[in-house]
Amino acid sequence: MKILQSNAGVLTNCEVLELLKSRGAGKDPTRVIAAVAPSEFKVYDYLEQTVAFKQTIEIIHKFVEDCKKYDLANGEMLNVVNIRPSSAVEIDPIIQDCDSRMGDRIDEFLENVVQVLPPYPSQLESNEDTAEDKEETTDDQQTGVK
Amino acid sequence: MFVMSEIEHTLRLPPHLLNRPLNAAIKGELESLFLDKVIDKLGLCVSVYDILSIDGGFIFPGDGASTYTARFRLVMFRPYVGEVISARLKESTKDGLRLSLGFFDDIYVPVPLMPNPYHTEPDPEHKNGTRWVWEYMGENYPIDWADEIRFRVHTVNYPPLPVEQGKDSEQKDSEEKDSRQKDLKPFAPMVITGSLDADGLGPTAWWV
Repeated sequence: MKILQSNAGVLTNCEVLELLKSRGAGKDPTRVIAAVAPSEFKVYDYLEQTVAFKQTIEIIHKFVEDCKKYDLANGEMLNVVNIRPSSAVEIDPIIQDCDSRMGDRIDEFLENVVQVLPPYPSQLESNEDTAEDKEETTDDQQTGVK
Repeated sequence: MFVMSEIEHTLRLPPHLLNRPLNAAIKGELESLFLDKVIDKLGLCVSVYDILSIDGGFIFPGDGASTYTARFRLVMFRPYVGEVISARLKESTKDGLRLSLGFFDDIYVPVPLMPNPYHTEPDPEHKNGTRWVWEYMGENYPIDWADEIRFRVHTVNYPPLPVEQGKDSEQKDSEEKDSRQKDLKPFAPMVITGSLDADGLGPTAWWV
C-alpha cells in the first residue's frame, strides 16, 4: 500500500453526509439493502444528530463567500460550519485569539452564522413548542371570557 | 473531522468475483480491506470516496486470481489538533472521562484537562463510576449522561501494536499476566485526547 497524498482535501460533515445519502443511507429502513456498510451507518447516525443534517453544499458555499472578509483560517471556517455556534462563548474555543482578531465584529459574524447556516432541528422544535404554548394560553383566555 | 487521502494499493481479486463488473468488485474488495480500520498517521477509514484508476489485471503463475493496482481516495476520520467536536459521554471514572462518537469510542479526557476547579462525587447510577462537577462562581455544573459534550482535540496518538510476550515466562508468571491483561482495555490503534478546559467546552447545556 502506498500513500500518494495523505491530505487530498478536507471534507465538511455535510459533504460526508451527502456522500452517504447518495449511496442510499437515509432511505433504507432495513439497513441491509443499501450499498452502505454497518460502520458507515454509524457515521451516518452520528452526522444525522448534528447541524450538518440540514445543510447543503450551496449553503456552505454562500457561508464561505460571506466569511472571506473576516480572514479566518480554513480549519476555523470548517469548524464553524460543523458546529454552528450561536453565541460568542461558543465561538471562543473555535477561533484562536478571538477577541484580538474579531473584536467588535463578533456580533456581526454571529448574525451571519445564525442566518446562513440552518439550526439544528431540536432548536427549531423548542421554538415551535413555545409558540404553541402561547397559542394555547390565548385560546384558554378566550374560552374563559365566553 | 474528515479528510480525503489518496492511496495506491495492489490487490488480488478472488476468482469468485469475476462475474461482477470490475469497478464494483474492486470497490467491494477495497471496502473489506480498509473500512473501519485505522491507517497509521492517516486516521480511521470511514468510506471509499472514489476509484481514480485501475491498472493491471495480470495473473501470476500458480494463482487463479488476477492482481490489480488501484488508485483511489478514502474518506478518513482524522480530526486536527484544536478542532472542537461534539460527542456523548461513554464512561466517567476517577481518571477522567471517556467520550464516544458512535463510530469512534477512544476519546479520553484525562484529569489535568478537565475544567478547573472541580469536585467529584461517586455516581449513584454506575458502579465504580465518578460524577464530575465543575464549580464556577459559586454554582455547581455537573456532567450528566444525557448531555452533548463539546471537547477540543488536544492530541491524536497512534500507539504501536503491542508485541506478544510470554515465550520465556514460567507458569506462575503467565498466570499473573493473564489477570493483568483482563484488567487492561482492548488495544486501541488510534486514541484522541480531548480537553474540556476552556470557555464554551463541556456539555452544551452549560453554555446555551
